[in-house]
Amino acid sequence: MLSILLLIPFAGVLLLALWPGRPAEGRMRTVTLLVLGLQMAWSLVVLARFDPGNSAMQLQESFPWVDILGLEYKLGVDGLSLPLVLINGALTLVAGICTRDIDKRPRIYFALLLVISGAVNGAFLAENLLLFFLFYELELIPLWCLIAVWGGVNRAYASTKFLIFTAASGMLILGAFLGLALYTGTVDFSLTPVTSERLAMGSQLVLLGALLIGFGIKVPLFPFHNWLPDAHTQASTPVSVLLAGVLLKLGTYGLLRFCMGLFPEAWALLAPGLAIWAAVSVLFGSLAAIAQTDMKRMVAFSSVGHMGYILLAAAAVTPVSILGAVFQMVSHGLISALLFLLVGIVYRKTGTRDLTVLHGLLNPERGLPFTGTLMIVGVMASAGMPGMAGFISEFMVFRGSISAYPVATLLSMVGSGLTAVYFLLLVNRAFFGRLAVTPLIDPVAHGRLDVNLAAVAPRETIPAMALAVAVFAIGMLPYGLGKLSEAATTAMVQLPALAAALQTGGLG
Amino acid sequence: MPIIPADLVHSGGMPSAAELEAKLLGGETLLANTPDHLIEVVDVLNSYGEVLDAYSTNLIFQAERQLLLPFPLFKYLDGDNSPAKIWRHLNHDRINFEYAEYCMKAMLWHGTGGLDAYLDSEPFAASCAAIISKKTRRDPLLALLHPLFPGFLIELIRAAATTHALGQFWRVMSDLFLDLARAEADGRVASIDDVVEFIKAGLVAAAANPITYGVEVAGEHLWVLPPKAGLTFLVDVAVPYVEAVFLRGMPFLGTVSFNAQAHQISPDQAQFAYGALYADPLPTMGSGIPPSLLMQDMYRHLPERLHSWYLQRTRGEGDVRVKICMSFQKSMFCVTNAAIRGTFPHPLGSTDPQARSANRAYAAAWASRLAVARTDCLAVKPPVA
Repeated sequence: MLSILLLIPFAGVLLLALWPGRPAEGRMRTVTLLVLGLQMAWSLVVLARFDPGNSAMQLQESFPWVDILGLEYKLGVDGLSLPLVLINGALTLVAGICTRDIDKRPRIYFALLLVISGAVNGAFLAENLLLFFLFYELELIPLWCLIAVWGGVNRAYASTKFLIFTAASGMLILGAFLGLALYTGTVDFSLTPVTSERLAMGSQLVLLGALLIGFGIKVPLFPFHNWLPDAHTQASTPVSVLLAGVLLKLGTYGLLRFCMGLFPEAWALLAPGLAIWAAVSVLFGSLAAIAQTDMKRMVAFSSVGHMGYILLAAAAVTPVSILGAVFQMVSHGLISALLFLLVGIVYRKTGTRDLTVLHGLLNPERGLPFTGTLMIVGVMASAGMPGMAGFISEFMVFRGSISAYPVATLLSMVGSGLTAVYFLLLVNRAFFGRLAVTPLIDPVAHGRLDVNLAAVAPRETIPAMALAVAVFAIGMLPYGLGKLSEAATTAMVQLPALAAALQTGGLG
Repeated sequence: MPIIPADLVHSGGMPSAAELEAKLLGGETLLANTPDHLIEVVDVLNSYGEVLDAYSTNLIFQAERQLLLPFPLFKYLDGDNSPAKIWRHLNHDRINFEYAEYCMKAMLWHGTGGLDAYLDSEPFAASCAAIISKKTRRDPLLALLHPLFPGFLIELIRAAATTHALGQFWRVMSDLFLDLARAEADGRVASIDDVVEFIKAGLVAAAANPITYGVEVAGEHLWVLPPKAGLTFLVDVAVPYVEAVFLRGMPFLGTVSFNAQAHQISPDQAQFAYGALYADPLPTMGSGIPPSLLMQDMYRHLPERLHSWYLQRTRGEGDVRVKICMSFQKSMFCVTNAAIRGTFPHPLGSTDPQARSANRAYAAAWASRLAVARTDCLAVKPPVA
């Protein structure tokens, strides 16, 4: 059942690669969308078969692959990974839909898109550390290609930086996994049984440290965030949607699944420091976003801030905070994808993302009023307005964390307030005032310019509208997602709680 | 500094005051003479003529039939209070008479010319006293209000007088603009200069038309603006209208506070430059932008030729009201051009040095005001696909 989630995109890759002749871009796109639609449909089948009340891995499939290395093909899904699989299906489909005018090698472009989607599914479903690592690495090169070949003017710089950072991330993660095997003297790389309890605390801390940095780069957390704004700035809109919506979640998933799951004792020991790290990351991301004049960089830095909430929730290790972390992963995926889609529309119509140049885009007849309306919805959701996905996620993270780490939580709440600051700056600069696509140097001349932006066709906003509806749906009806993940997230906190209880000298 | 694609942003450039003065004195038109400009101006004025016809009818109805009515709920229905008309009104299948009232308020507020002077005169006060005395006898609410606020009902009558005068002015302009469209259709008008001359001739012909206003109260006819006041079309209504609506205008509600805080609104009302010739067409259809109502009204009556012309440009139907506003601004420059041409103190061909000097001073005064108007719309623009 789960293997089909890998089979569909990889079969799609083969189909595209072997398609005879030189098919037009439109045909490649249609085939890709059909494949992605099928993948999304199958994700929903998995959702239908999933038992939310069961906290264990479900729908498992396994067969030995390379026994001697401990590499086993073992897939499973639980309340942590299923929402992410669904987000991957939905956002890859959105990325496919919003891909337009691929000027070179459309066959390879769409094939890479499918490789990424399949690899991400594999990473979320893998129950074997090496299998996870294989899929984790598998999405790197396609993503590098998507930025390096179909990116902006400085794509070479951004893609190389991305590659160096994420390759280092991969090395650290692989090193930690191998170290685990080395210290425990076993080649069992399966997620269960947890073998780290046999390790001395020093060894655990070293391995956990490597994993934290490895996944911290991917998330990204301050100070390993440096690659993200450049990658986003140079990536095309669909790639930014994938990057922010799906690929960053590999990092946060890794934090929860491997860092917290494999090293609960060490995690409990480091948790206070991790909470402070989270707050620093939140505040740094927010303050850096305020200073940006490129819309895409601003949204990228907002991701740095918003990913910090997940580390805070993971550090607190309470049932509510971990469930909040899942909510935050899903809602950030939807909201950041929505914002990048809208920034992409603005860029396509105006040729710039510069906030010193864009003004008055809400102009009813000559501007981009509907895009602006959706942008306001997106920034409100990101700033945590009640009724939308951002609110319920942040509320749960803060509610679950405040008793454990009040200072770090309060500082993170300040970061949440700063989200409103930088996004209102964005909306005020780019969407309010007199329509213009010029720097505001001479107000008189500025007020006399005739501006002729191409209109946004309704079909261009359909993906963004769908995401906005999803943002409202999760905000208004969070019960569905909560029910899906609650059993698994509650079970996840048992292990660190046990460790913490052991450290303090008693179980009750 | 980002590179802005040249086809996204266009600046029409602004002629200097000296250039404008030279054009006015040389008998040239302010608006460049192009076939596109001719279509825009004639057809938009044709549409405007239809709208002014409705505005005029309603303003005269309001002034004559709704005077001092405490709750004028049906003032926009022109006396037809049938359920079908009320439904069309509520369903917004109607002309926006609010814009006509907005123009009336601008005239009343700026208060220039003979009409305004008469509204502050003794004879007018006497007329008001007679009307109020008759009205308060039958209406207890007015009888209560008048002693409490002695200036209130008088101010309402001033507003009604301005409303009626504007209705009479627009009656003439409506016929003139519809005649212009017919003249262009049968070939008598073939250039922008012909348009300006046609309007000038119409204004001159109507210049001495008397402006009067009387109401029936309790079966008795009472004058508000009597014939003996000697108010005439051009000097007492048309010129104040141009001053109030074309030149000064009013900062739009909602922007007033912001602009005032930014010290962008002159404390001297005479220096206001928010009128039709200064207005920015781009925000049309934005919230709180009153000319949007006029553009919507003109859109209802747009001739097919101009509609097709718009559909071939920029966003087609998507930004049609902005394009109507741009064309309307050009047409208002033509009307202003005609008014200036018709009110030169001496004939432009005069060789008398004193006459030439007076003409030059007159042209210079207009040019200095127009130099900061939206003259960027006057030049020939490259077609935008």
